[in-house]
Amino acid sequence: MKLSKSLYSYYLIWPALIIYSVFFVLPAIIGLYYSFTDWRLDRDAIRFIGWDNFQRIFTDKTLLLALKNTLIFAVITVIGKNVLGIALAVALNMRLKSRNFLRAIFYSPSILSVLVISIVFTPMLRTEGTINRLFESVGLGSLSQAWLTDPSIVIWTISALAIWQHTGFQMAIYLAGLQSISKDYYEAATIDGAGSWKSFLNITLPLLLPAININLMLTLIGGLKVFSEVFVLTGGGPGNASQVVGTIILRAFGEGSWGLGTAMNTLLFAAVTLISIPLLIFMRRKEVTE
Amino acid sequence: MSFSKKAALRNYLVEAFLLLMSLTIIVPLLIMIFGSFMTSAEVLEFSLRLPDQWLFSNYAQVFKEGGLGRAFLNGIWITGISSILTIATSSAAAFIIARRETKLSGVLYLFFFMGLIAPMSTITTIKVVQWLGFYGSITSVIFIYTSLNIAFSVFLYSGFIKSIPKALDEVAFLEGANMFDVFFRIVTPLIVPVNATVAIMVFMSVWNDITIPLYFLTDSSTWTMPLSVYNFYGKFSRDWNLIFADLVMTSLPVLILYLFAQKYIVSGLTAGAVKG
Repeated sequence: MKLSKSLYSYYLIWPALIIYSVFFVLPAIIGLYYSFTDWRLDRDAIRFIGWDNFQRIFTDKTLLLALKNTLIFAVITVIGKNVLGIALAVALNMRLKSRNFLRAIFYSPSILSVLVISIVFTPMLRTEGTINRLFESVGLGSLSQAWLTDPSIVIWTISALAIWQHTGFQMAIYLAGLQSISKDYYEAATIDGAGSWKSFLNITLPLLLPAININLMLTLIGGLKVFSEVFVLTGGGPGNASQVVGTIILRAFGEGSWGLGTAMNTLLFAAVTLISIPLLIFMRRKEVTE
Repeated sequence: MSFSKKAALRNYLVEAFLLLMSLTIIVPLLIMIFGSFMTSAEVLEFSLRLPDQWLFSNYAQVFKEGGLGRAFLNGIWITGISSILTIATSSAAAFIIARRETKLSGVLYLFFFMGLIAPMSTITTIKVVQWLGFYGSITSVIFIYTSLNIAFSVFLYSGFIKSIPKALDEVAFLEGANMFDVFFRIVTPLIVPVNATVAIMVFMSVWNDITIPLYFLTDSSTWTMPLSVYNFYGKFSRDWNLIFADLVMTSLPVLILYLFAQKYIVSGLTAGAVKG
């Protein structure tokens, strides 16, 4: 016998739906409207000003730099976290004696607050800090940098630290993916005479695709939303050299330029959706064909 | 024979390399932990060595001057209530979405799924919270965290509930049970492991977060650990021993949770990786 669907009434959805709609969806929708206004903290009247906020974002040097830095951070961390994450997962899926210890160590920074990691590294990244001293002591003094005070490298330093902290999280997802691959494939490949590199390319990578997909999405979205690392390490400095969208929104909020801040948010929203939705559809299709 | 020898050698090389790499993680964390027991002069080297004398008093001092007792309790309260609220609302919603399998439930699933992708709109969220009249309060922050975690939790729960045979529900319905009986007596006991995963994920993200408190907690009596620590870091920028002690105390709850609940973290990750 077939049970009527209406036995499952929609009542139980309401609590989640209301909280989610009021505190997440509604702000996003009214944000669309406010991005086209000159909404300010110190003025009661709100005027509709068309595309002015966006025009300002794309002509203001600092705001453009923030967009560029956000993209750099996102791309670098996507590549770093995933390449290193796969490498670590494959290595830690081997029969090593210290496997569990190493897994725990590599995972551990990702459970700590970004704030904690950023503060711990601040003194170490100084010009006379631990990292440069280490380079000098092993004869690589030429590699030492003004990690957080040289405007041309500061965003790269911040990206590298984010990779250092979060690769373990990606590694854990890849490990879960690897463990779902049957050993039979590798045995068959070995019998056919395939080396480990060939097995990796022809078996591991394709079968790891669901994990790769989810990790690419997670790291890309997380990368575009970057805020805490920059806020704690440099506050957007030196000057404005490491500003990202997240820190610009905070600054606009602090200055009372709420319309502009909201426009910046809308831009981020548009970028994230425009990049991730086609990616999602593409991935779905690929998984089906395989 | 030679093949397995070669493989063994390769394993040793990989292991040696990984152990070396793990130092890049162990050393900075140890510098923080050892530094938290040093004098304020000793710590300034920022290098790996044991303190001359273990000053446990640093912790007492930080706890007093940083107002950490309050921040700790605020953090526990906010993370605890947000977790419970997220679990209760998302599991109920996911139950209906997973069971109805109609067009509308599909649309609702996508509607929640959007929340996994879209960034939150901070400034207008403040506006909404002001309209509702509780801007600056701990309650507002609890609702915001819940709304941010619902997307991911509905996704996790509905995947899991779909794997529970519907026949179980049907038998209960035939015996005269209603939807609430089915949800509380049949589904709820089966999703306990997912509850644990969600609780841990929410706890870790909320406990560690600094962004929401920065925008929404305007009064220092409502701050959680990260914001108190950040403030302390600004005020006591010369006393790195105290700053380190402060950071260790912020990290302890999540580290302890991680040690005891690893299993559930891994199962949460597996759900994401395997089901895609």
